[in-house]
Amino acid sequence: MANPLTLYIPIRQDPTTQAAAQAAHDHFVSTYTEVLDHFGKVHYARFVLIPNPGVTGILAVCVITSFDGPMNPYLQDFWNDESLKKVFSGLAGMALVDTPVANFTQFENFINNHNLSKMNELYGAYKLTVKQIKAKSEPPV
Amino acid sequence: MTNSPMPSYDPGNVQGLILRGYTHTYSCHMLFTFSSCLGAAGFIRALLPHVQSAEAWTHKPERMLNIGLTFNGILTFEPGFKGQFPNEFESGPWSDGTQASLNDTGPSAPNTWWNGHDGQDIHCIVHTYGLTDGALADLVSIVSQAADANSVSEILPLKPGTGQCGRLEQYAPLKNFIHFGYRDGIDNPALGWPADPAVTAPDDANNFLIGYPGSKFHPGPESGPAAEFARDGCYNAFRVLHQNVVAFERFLTDTAPTVVAAIGGSEDQAREWLAAKLAGRWRKGSPLALSPRAQDDATADKTDFLYVDDRDALKCPFSAHTRVANPRDDLILSDAPVPRLIRRGMPYGVLPALSDCEERGLIGLFLCGSLAGQFEKLYSWINVNDFNNVFSPGFDTQDALLANRSLPSAVDRSFTIPISENASIKIKSLPQFIITRGTAYCLLPSMRTLRRVAGLSE
Repeated sequence: MANPLTLYIPIRQDPTTQAAAQAAHDHFVSTYTEVLDHFGKVHYARFVLIPNPGVTGILAVCVITSFDGPMNPYLQDFWNDESLKKVFSGLAGMALVDTPVANFTQFENFINNHNLSKMNELYGAYKLTVKQIKAKSEPPV
Repeated sequence: MTNSPMPSYDPGNVQGLILRGYTHTYSCHMLFTFSSCLGAAGFIRALLPHVQSAEAWTHKPERMLNIGLTFNGILTFEPGFKGQFPNEFESGPWSDGTQASLNDTGPSAPNTWWNGHDGQDIHCIVHTYGLTDGALADLVSIVSQAADANSVSEILPLKPGTGQCGRLEQYAPLKNFIHFGYRDGIDNPALGWPADPAVTAPDDANNFLIGYPGSKFHPGPESGPAAEFARDGCYNAFRVLHQNVVAFERFLTDTAPTVVAAIGGSEDQAREWLAAKLAGRWRKGSPLALSPRAQDDATADKTDFLYVDDRDALKCPFSAHTRVANPRDDLILSDAPVPRLIRRGMPYGVLPALSDCEERGLIGLFLCGSLAGQFEKLYSWINVNDFNNVFSPGFDTQDALLANRSLPSAVDRSFTIPISENASIKIKSLPQFIITRGTAYCLLPSMRTLRRVAGLSE
């Protein structure tokens, strides 16, 4: 049964941060497909820009995923991967509320503190995991 | 390689339980609630003379103790630490995040733990040890009196009327065995100390002690005042597991004829063979990877082996408990390091033959530098063997002894024992052998931190 992550981070309104958020959104899929494939536990992931209501610009960034199993034990795999560490550190760097993410404990707490979803809040049409689905649907290499 | 040498640690500042396996036969593990910071400090101060460090002893102490603090216990002394420790430690083992790994459901659910007491009220666990039952009794009395004198309340974690006094007392007659009949305490990490932190092996002690570089498990907190508090400490996932010995022995007896039909021999031999296949070791200790046909006292203590010549599981089934709990070279789907735990376990409760009371099981101290990265990750693999498709082609089999069989996800409760290249014994559905009676996450602080919280100079 998959679990949800809804990482919601209000960001600063200065031009540099706004441009960085747009770039992170535009390159998310192309940059991180390979590493997420390798990780093998994420069903879907999207990077959403929440607009400022009524005015231009980006209010917040939101990473929405559904993934298999627990989250915290695998955050170390994300932190230990330089490319994934970079994207999450980058997100923390955009945050409206200054939040240091200089080490793993800070990173783990940053993710948990900005996660709007709780376990068991996700409707799932199936119980199969990513690995199980791929094992059934993809021909053996 | 880095240019920074590995800093050394002072064993005198580390609680002994972390780095040394005690062989004291008598132990009692006492749970407490603090009512005030002043009282808590007085309690710790009273116990300090008996706290054992990791320094080598010339004479084995007749009695000694070690102390763990939960996050709520730490907040008693340092309310400003909220948000500074790892999320799973602060949230507690009953939290949704942790339960996604531990999957304690049904009779193991957190609302059944600790004899009805709220786990959030556990602030401190005192682990007492004695060479004799008299020495232990004296020490337990000292701890109780210190608690009374400082308005610290004891929580009795076992149900009254079950034949137990309510405390978690080691069942000494079993000595080095646990209630399912297996010899215990064989395989623990070697706890080396790397010269270069960049070359840290999963067994090295900097994966367990907080405050040192090099570990991919990042023991923390790693910065700020909380890091200084936690330095030279280690986390203890304290877990009490009821073992259904009757169900276990009945399973061996009921399944023995199937084994005899497949491989011959007597039913007694079949029971022992089956017990070995469930655990990955014969009940007297020999690992199946080294001694697949029979117990061999020459291999009973061996821990340095791999599964490289057992990829077909003809020696040790993939889902055998020791093969899941320490996959060694089996972890082929990930380049992440293999998580290890330092395990200090002891049985509680009387042998079934000697008592009608059914409350018996294992007091488990699972020590690690990262509760999520080591303890919870391994436990998630115990519940679902999803880390290796050779192990588990459907990524859905379970640890043969410990797993929770009532998971919400799609799991395969069967257990396959290969007996030849083309044949296997397949047990359709393994029973539930274990029920969780309680779990607490504690920090075993350094000696310096204990002196600090006791209000003494560090």
